[in-house]
Amino acid sequence: MSEVNLGDAPFTMTIDGKRVEARPGEMVLAAAKRAGIAIPTLCEHKAVESFGSCRLCMVEVTKAAWKGWKGLMTACLYPAAPDLIIETQSERVLHVRRNVLDLLLARCPDSTLIQRLAAEHGVQQTSFSVREQPDLCILCGLCVRICESAATSAISTVKRGHHREIGTPWGGPPPACIGCLACAHVCPTGHITFEEHGATRAIWGRSFELQRCAECGAPLPITVEQASFLVERQALDASYFSRCESCQRRATAQTFGRLARWQKLGLTQEPDARQEGGKR
Amino acid sequence: MSAQSQPQFPPVDLAATEAILARYAAEPKHLISVLQDLQLHYRYLPREALERVGAALGVPLAKVYGVATFYKAFSLTPRGEKILRVCTGTACHIRGAPLILSELQSRLKIAAGETTPDLRFSLEAVNCVGACALAPVVMENDTAHGNLSVTKVRRLVRSGAAGSRGRGSAELPRPDDSPAKKAEESEES
Ligand code: SF4
Ligand code: FES
Ligand code: FES
Repeated sequence: MSEVNLGDAPFTMTIDGKRVEARPGEMVLAAAKRAGIAIPTLCEHKAVESFGSCRLCMVEVTKAAWKGWKGLMTACLYPAAPDLIIETQSERVLHVRRNVLDLLLARCPDSTLIQRLAAEHGVQQTSFSVREQPDLCILCGLCVRICESAATSAISTVKRGHHREIGTPWGGPPPACIGCLACAHVCPTGHITFEEHGATRAIWGRSFELQRCAECGAPLPITVEQASFLVERQALDASYFSRCESCQRRATAQTFGRLARWQKLGLTQEPDARQEGGKR
Repeated sequence: MSAQSQPQFPPVDLAATEAILARYAAEPKHLISVLQDLQLHYRYLPREALERVGAALGVPLAKVYGVATFYKAFSLTPRGEKILRVCTGTACHIRGAPLILSELQSRLKIAAGETTPDLRFSLEAVNCVGACALAPVVMENDTAHGNLSVTKVRRLVRSGAAGSRGRGSAELPRPDDSPAKKAEESEES
């Protein structure tokens, strides 16, 4: 991503008439958020780089030196710069936002999130013709980006134009999926669904066994594949995900108890701490 | 796509994939070049080949699939030896492209976008191919056939079923069970 090199010193900009401090390298959206100025977004998430696909965060950007010229920019992708003057509620901005929501409503008429956002902007009904057999996907690409950055790139956008959709290789169960649910978790509209029954979790047509507590056998909220992926990627101890919370708590309490006993006897260290491995 | 016209996937010889991969450095940026070469060789992108390519270039399979489904130049199902592209642009439309297309569809017994089960023909309806003066036009692989009539199209199918470049290579016999022949027979009887 291209970042304007402005040195390291914070600077100020104006957003909706308010002086706002911004840092070099950050986007207008981040500076606005910090200043408590709300700009609606759908495709932005702190865990991934901005992508600019939903177009909902459009703002008007100008500078005193621009002789009245104002540009409509996506706040999530427009780099903050000294002396920018930004409007997030101008007539032009609201008009564009209504249009975006109008279009999204035609695409996803059943999404309660889109319905609510649209209604908040005075759009009760789409003025475009509604897509045939609509689903809940607004094609924001968040799921694909989170899968790429946090997991294994098991899914991607496939096909093009009207047929574009989020999918798996050949539409089948994705071989690279580890069942982490990151995609379902970030999806703003709930398009990606999953099921969890007992110690199994199903998503994208695949079924995963949940990791079990090595002591009591209770299922942990993490799949076996996900656990080994994280252990390898974060170079964790292999036992990191081996105990459930309550067994972990019990083990910790026992350790404390033992330590206290040894201390009473005037020992500074446990004679044999080997059994106390486990997590953390 | 109708199920009965789904072509059989021929067995894939992965040696060709390896040979193609050997032409490029093992970097993600060569993905599209590799896919183009594969398409040229196999006339489609076999799954086995794409799995190998993804692993070799370090591109996740989902990404490979995304790229393969994005570009029209790539196909995930086997294409015919002859790809007949019927121009349905404005000029060709006015000069009878719909007739040409329906003639080809009934001759080959496939719809536009499909391939005959014997993998001899693929049929496509495309936009202006830039030869409007010759309208109506059908591209047969890289050769343009212009000023077509329904009769000429029939001939095209017959010669196409017989030869490699459509230029009088009649020595390759058309098997009796080819869909083109069957279509003719059923029409004539
Ligand atoms: S499935 Fe959800 S997260 Fe993924 S593109 Fe669609 S709306 Fe966005
Ligand atoms: S949040 Fe900026 S375009 Fe979606
Ligand atoms: S419309 Fe067919 S070649 Fe232009």
